[in-house]
Amino acid sequence: MILLTRKYLKRKIMCPETKFRHHVKERMHILELLKRTVDMGESNSALLIGPRGSGKTTLINSILKELSYVKSFKENALIVNLHGLVHTDDRLALKDATRQMQLENAVGDKVFGTFAENLTFLLDCLKSGDKKHSKPVVFILDEFDLFCEHHNQTLLYNLFDIAQSAQAPICVIGMTCRLDVIELLEKRVKSRFSHRQIFLFPGDTSSSEQPISAFDDRLELFQHLLSLPDDENVNRIEHQYDDCTIDPQFGSVWNEYIKSLVSNPTLVNLLKRMYQIDVSERSFRNFLAMAVSTLSEKHQRLEVNDFVEASKMFSQDDKVLMLEGLSVLEICLIIAMKHETEIYDGEPFNFEAIYNRYIKFANQNSSIQTVQKPVIMKAFEHIKNLEFILPVGGMNSKVEKEYQYYKFLLTSQQVMEAVKNYSGLPTEVSQWAVTNI
Amino acid sequence: ETHLSTPKSHKIKVKHSNLTPSLVKRNNVPLKPTTPLQEAKSRLHVSAVPKSLPCREEEFNNIFTFLRGKLEDKNGGCIYISGVPGTGKTATVNEVIRCLQKLIIKGQLDDFNYVAINGMKLTEPRQAYVQILKQLDGKTATWEQSYHILEKRFHSTTSKMTLLLIDELDFLCTKRQDVVYNLLDWPTKSTAQLVVITIANTMDLPERVLMGRVTSRLGLTRLTFQPYNYKQLQEIVMSRLKDFYGFRNEAIQLVARKVSAVSGDARRALDICRRAVEIAESQSAETISLQDVTEAVSEMIASAKVQAIKHCSKMEQIFLQAMSAEVTRTSIEEVYFKDAYKQLESLCSFDGIEVPSVTEILAICGRLGANRLLICEHSKNDIYQKILLNVSTDDIHYAIKELNLN
Repeated sequence: MILLTRKYLKRKIMCPETKFRHHVKERMHILELLKRTVDMGESNSALLIGPRGSGKTTLINSILKELSYVKSFKENALIVNLHGLVHTDDRLALKDATRQMQLENAVGDKVFGTFAENLTFLLDCLKSGDKKHSKPVVFILDEFDLFCEHHNQTLLYNLFDIAQSAQAPICVIGMTCRLDVIELLEKRVKSRFSHRQIFLFPGDTSSSEQPISAFDDRLELFQHLLSLPDDENVNRIEHQYDDCTIDPQFGSVWNEYIKSLVSNPTLVNLLKRMYQIDVSERSFRNFLAMAVSTLSEKHQRLEVNDFVEASKMFSQDDKVLMLEGLSVLEICLIIAMKHETEIYDGEPFNFEAIYNRYIKFANQNSSIQTVQKPVIMKAFEHIKNLEFILPVGGMNSKVEKEYQYYKFLLTSQQVMEAVKNYSGLPTEVSQWAVTNI
Repeated sequence: ETHLSTPKSHKIKVKHSNLTPSLVKRNNVPLKPTTPLQEAKSRLHVSAVPKSLPCREEEFNNIFTFLRGKLEDKNGGCIYISGVPGTGKTATVNEVIRCLQKLIIKGQLDDFNYVAINGMKLTEPRQAYVQILKQLDGKTATWEQSYHILEKRFHSTTSKMTLLLIDELDFLCTKRQDVVYNLLDWPTKSTAQLVVITIANTMDLPERVLMGRVTSRLGLTRLTFQPYNYKQLQEIVMSRLKDFYGFRNEAIQLVARKVSAVSGDARRALDICRRAVEIAESQSAETISLQDVTEAVSEMIASAKVQAIKHCSKMEQIFLQAMSAEVTRTSIEEVYFKDAYKQLESLCSFDGIEVPSVTEILAICGRLGANRLLICEHSKNDIYQKILLNVSTDDIHYAIKELNLN
């Protein structure tokens, strides 16, 4: 039963729902836009802008899913998906657009002709169409800002030009996370773009029924995502979950428990702190998925401690963790670097300076076993490979490696914390770390 | 006729224009606009170009008399038309061509060929030859072949005049400028009987970009389209609306004044009006009030940076504050990440918030960089990466102060 629960919850958390939460106004706007394009043959263009993880793709997918149930939309609309990371230049984008539109120069999945021929053919096709007779085409451009880097912005110019002239009806929807994307457009491309910008900001609850604060909404989401279908809504589970049939009684017990979790002060504080740092839903879902993964036959319930453990993965300092895995000699060198940086106020240093500082320390403390210079060099190189230090002006092969200058990429707090956490560090070393010089 | 259906034969047919490119037909008839608002919206669409363009009568007459004169005298020539985007350059030329073609039907003018190419619709400048030949003969060849055919054609006497429209001329300019040179050199041949109309955005393109010999061939027949002022924009919108009186007069005036203050782009004015109609429609109103227009204007002109800052997480806001504090402290725009982190530490302890680790703040910095609220260097420089604020410090203060009041 618990394994089924885990399966169900993981699916619920990791797969973005088809039911889109909030942003009702923005959703309506795009929905209307697509509907009008298909029903009335009106050409449009719009940009969907929002930070990463704010649900841009989920929004579009949910709209397309809703429209796919409408007969007139399904039969008439041609949807062309282009992605800025996949279609890195206009040549690739055009080929794929031709393929997705199934034009006459595409046979199966192969597109014939050169780049110039493809462009002319596509433009001729769209020109031959008109408002009344041809199928409307919906272009969805993911990572829109990357399309702006293409040579001359030929693709964007042509798409927007078609949207603003009496040709086949098309609707261009771009998705991007850059707020200044309009500035990337060339002036004639910008003039042809309709300046319909739709912003999606996470934590915007202005359109929900009763006004609630953004954090309360997060708590609500927490409860919603971890709840099982109980007897009331067991029939409403979508068919994609049909292999997870959960006993309604177990479900209601579980849900009661989750409800009690939401009022737990430790957990609320934890969630509050996470919300303070990152408002995006994606990282929150990742966090929940990690907590849910701890469920097993032996571990039947989600304890507050599971969430605390999972949140550590998000808040811990990775560099301090890496420092704890170094040898004592390497830690000594790191401390020497810290001193060097502090004394000379962030000026870069080379191996010789660090070596001298270390030797001075090692000679003063008889308990520290001194090693030969090549060994210390080896340790230094190891630190360099872990990228705790950064060569100034790139690696210069002309300079001997002892005299290459480096910047120190750790703050003194990080070093101190690592020294504190390091188990079995000789006391001389930790004392040396505290004393300046 | 046997129908061969291998992909190759298909491609050859496409090449020789035996097959017209077509788009899939829709299954049902699109809905007709039913309400007066929908009617107005379809007429306000940029693609619904009217039969005669308002406020461009003078430019129309200039181009018309120039072209008619050239066509009647059967000698070649050039004209250069410039103006910022959205001032009706291409639309006016198209209208002139339409009128000239009407004259042919009436028998007042001899027949002429019309070829239109657009620099932005070509993958490279030399494809211009291919396009011109295709529009003249309907054949597709490589650019070398096309060039030779055209060269031959314009060096032998023909009976028909040719009108060549080159839109977005600046995209045909390469380092060698051989394409522009050839296109502008052909009209000078007495045998060619070619009239070239060139359109571009910048007024001083011939002097600034083109070589001396190209500029000299382009000649001095030039025409500049001024950006529309608010009265003209108002007239354009009014003429589109015709007998629809749902638009309040001052609403149109507001759009016209706002747009003319920014760019004088007719497309922008029409788009804003259309959006205003949509807003009115969503409120199921019969007429478009001043409020709808204000909303549409603020949606389509204003920037959303303040909104974006308001919707940042608390720590992201503190980081932005730390950035602006560091800029004020050093009075240098560029800030090292480690210095901003120091400021953030003090801001956090001031507010009694637990200081996040460097890793967390680096992630925040990356997120803000992706939004372009900040401009970040490559993250391999770690705490030594330089960061620039992409919003003004006033915007940050304004956005966050308002938040604290709530």
